[in-house]
Amino acid sequence: MSAAADVTDVVIVGSGAGGAPLAARLSQAGVSVIVLEAGRAFRPDDHVADELAADIYWMEERLSGGADATAFGANNSGMGVGGSTLHWGAFCPRPDARDLRLRSESGRGEDWPIAHDELIGYIDAVERFIGVSGPARYPWDVGRRYELPPVARNAPANAMARGCTALNITATDAPAALVSRDREQPHWGERKACINCGTCHQGCRTAAKATTDTSWLPLAVAHGAEVRAECRVVDIERDGNGRVTGVVYVCRGERRRLSCRALFLCAGGVETPRLLLNLDLANSSGQVGRNFMAHVATQVWGRFDADMRMNRGYPSSLITEDMMRAGDADHAGGYLIQSLGVMPVTLATNLARGAGLWGRALVDLLDDYNRLGGIGINGECLPSDDNRLTLADETDAYGLRKARIDFSYGPNERAIDAHARKTMTAIWEAAGARDIFAVDRSAHTIGTCRMGQDGDRAVVDADGRSFDIDNLFICDNSVFPSALAANPALTIMALSLRTADRFLATRG
Amino acid sequence: MNRVYFLHALGASAREWDQVIADLGDVGACVPLCLPGFGGSPDADLDVAGLVDWFSEQVAAHQPQSWAVVGHSMGGKIATLAAARARDGDPAFAGLAAVVLLAASPPASEPMAEERRAEMIDWFANGRIGPDEAATFVDANTAQRLPEPLRTQAIADVERSRRLAWTGWLKRDSREDWREAAGTLAVPALIVAGGEDGDLGEDAQRRLNLPHYRNARVEVVAGAAHLLPYEQPAAVATLIRDHITQAFGRALPAPFVALLASDRVSRGTRAVMTERHAAPPRGKVLSPQQRAVLAALIETVLPGAADPVDLAARIDAMLTSGIGDGWRSAELPADAEGWTSGLDTLDHLSSSFADASPADREQCLQSIADETADTEGGAFDPRQMRLWFAEARSEIARQWMALPATMARIGYDGFAVGGDGPHKQGYRLTAADMIEDWQQLEVQA
Repeated sequence: MSAAADVTDVVIVGSGAGGAPLAARLSQAGVSVIVLEAGRAFRPDDHVADELAADIYWMEERLSGGADATAFGANNSGMGVGGSTLHWGAFCPRPDARDLRLRSESGRGEDWPIAHDELIGYIDAVERFIGVSGPARYPWDVGRRYELPPVARNAPANAMARGCTALNITATDAPAALVSRDREQPHWGERKACINCGTCHQGCRTAAKATTDTSWLPLAVAHGAEVRAECRVVDIERDGNGRVTGVVYVCRGERRRLSCRALFLCAGGVETPRLLLNLDLANSSGQVGRNFMAHVATQVWGRFDADMRMNRGYPSSLITEDMMRAGDADHAGGYLIQSLGVMPVTLATNLARGAGLWGRALVDLLDDYNRLGGIGINGECLPSDDNRLTLADETDAYGLRKARIDFSYGPNERAIDAHARKTMTAIWEAAGARDIFAVDRSAHTIGTCRMGQDGDRAVVDADGRSFDIDNLFICDNSVFPSALAANPALTIMALSLRTADRFLATRG
Repeated sequence: MNRVYFLHALGASAREWDQVIADLGDVGACVPLCLPGFGGSPDADLDVAGLVDWFSEQVAAHQPQSWAVVGHSMGGKIATLAAARARDGDPAFAGLAAVVLLAASPPASEPMAEERRAEMIDWFANGRIGPDEAATFVDANTAQRLPEPLRTQAIADVERSRRLAWTGWLKRDSREDWREAAGTLAVPALIVAGGEDGDLGEDAQRRLNLPHYRNARVEVVAGAAHLLPYEQPAAVATLIRDHITQAFGRALPAPFVALLASDRVSRGTRAVMTERHAAPPRGKVLSPQQRAVLAALIETVLPGAADPVDLAARIDAMLTSGIGDGWRSAELPADAEGWTSGLDTLDHLSSSFADASPADREQCLQSIADETADTEGGAFDPRQMRLWFAEARSEIARQWMALPATMARIGYDGFAVGGDGPHKQGYRLTAADMIEDWQQLEVQA
């Protein structure tokens, strides 16, 4: 172990949506910050436009159980400087006010300990910094403005628009965290306008898509922060009072020590609780690992007579929020519908696994790739005692026990799934699709270290501070008390800024 | 059009291939080249990188869609390093389908006695190689004296060698160590040694060339020393024809190769697609019986679409690498054990799945998917078997769909959306029924 004194005010573990905005804001306030990232650093044009070769995912094995076992790997887990923002879809609807008050509204789920108005203030700051393209008028929030015009619709988006119009469902260009025009990003350089290449999930090669390595991290570094790539945190050191004094990490085989006054875990909804459980930390509530949530992400597919070539263009270029609280809903919460552009390998695995296809039916569909089109949802998931992350007996290369995640839909998720299938099938029929079928799928890793007012029911308070250890903070999707229908990254970045402000306001 | 490039040995010329090419028959357009400073071409002082650059210009001049290279002796070092550049995504070498090495100089420093090296360099002391020196060279490199007029021709070619090219190879190029750049190559290779060759005989080929090719075989031609194309043209032609014909047979369609070579594709993407199109590294997890069951499973999951043996080898390679897709069912053991147990249970269920009729296989898989299969006596219970089958068919579909040949089959051009220039080239048109001029791939299926 290195003997050299290595000291900083704040260590942030993880460089994605949770860690990076925080790193920037703390650095701007004069706090010394070191970000430790398990993965390596990329330049945008290092990314490879190939689904198997793209190396921006967390591919270390996780065990998935339960009736609706969720897929990890390329489905939802990032690795590299930028974290999951390297592969995220950049689809960035704002969180719905009703979703933050779901318990008050429906008696189910949880309320968030943060007011929607306050969160939206931070969302607005995030959007202004990273650059979001969207429609001139957002039908479900007419006062909202997006900096940049929407990106081009692709064939599935046009089909969805057609189907929605026929059914009197409002749909519009999706808010997308990418730049539809060349745009200067402070401390980084010019991000080129989106070229409609369709490879957002394999890594954006033009930096059109907002990722933390081309936005927040350069801002942080410009204010003195340091980002250390390929550094895996394996231990957290404490003093006699249980306060964090530093971390131990492994960098290219060498164990190193780094002292800090405060520690922020921003490693995502699986790695953050896995580390805490492995170290038996911050868990007097017994809540670490509990209430794992994944969005209901059912898709509906069909064949079109037209040449669709859905790999072209920004994949999720159309949205409707009409189902956020459907009139005929038999479930709490709601869902967003988006048009889909799915690459061949991802589609093939989804059809084989999620649609249960094989044989002639599978080959015929894949051969027809250029004529397929799909739509999908992002639906609320309620926290449940049955869904949790625990430690498996197997260990990883660092001797830490692997994560096991058990996940099963409850009645509410089933009701959302059924409602969405019906709605999307109707839209696709109206759009002219044939041979329509659905694919089971869930997405995102949410919950496991939830925030709340009560230290018996939550791991961290509304500021992200551990109830057990006052200089340990968590800021990533693991703190979400409920899933929210909106995709999580925008909200994570907003929480990240808020966590930084709360830290600065309350530090001793 | 398929082309075969021929790179001759030190002191030879394009003419050394005359009889081999005559014996080859129709394998594609044959292009025997004269290396700079040989066969009457202008002298040049090129190091190994310079020779590979020169070769890239020759290939680019023809814009072949699929091509092979046959390299003899010093030409073999150039051939291997061209293959390495193709592997690394160099557009100039895109479309390389096969390599043939004849008594080839390796990427490493070539084994050669120093006194012999000095003697051959010294032949230029008086400005040119004399007829006696040339005759000595030819006779020393053949098992038996070549028949006329071949011997006279071979000697004349040695005499035509120019000073910079000759001494540059002996003093510098043959000594350059390119082992790291050559690395491991996936392109199918045939490595031929003369049974009576000296420094570059079978032993040297196995030690110095074979380790660079993971998909290669070594053949030894009897009755030949180092000048194989002169000594045993018919045997050499047969070996080349068999190897190249097979490789061209599985080459990607011409328009696909042309798009892959274009500046719309980045080097990184071209390199991974080139690598994946070649045969996978050897897998070590599955037994021959498990491989056979897996091939039958693949045939049932993707009937008529995949090459079951090839795809089974890829899945074995994936299991051997230990790199999976980032997760597995908590109810199944680790991937290697999961697949062997799943395949064994599948075989047990249907009392030889590999030999079962398509209808019986289909019925078996349906019962697994329904969890109604009677797995009594198998390693997995019905629920595990259902979960494993979901994992297996997903992995089969994933590996198959990722193959460049499958992309070609479905008319997919989504890999050609970038390039390495400052301005990446995506799609201008994204709406249905509108494509751009460069989108020329036809659905093959």
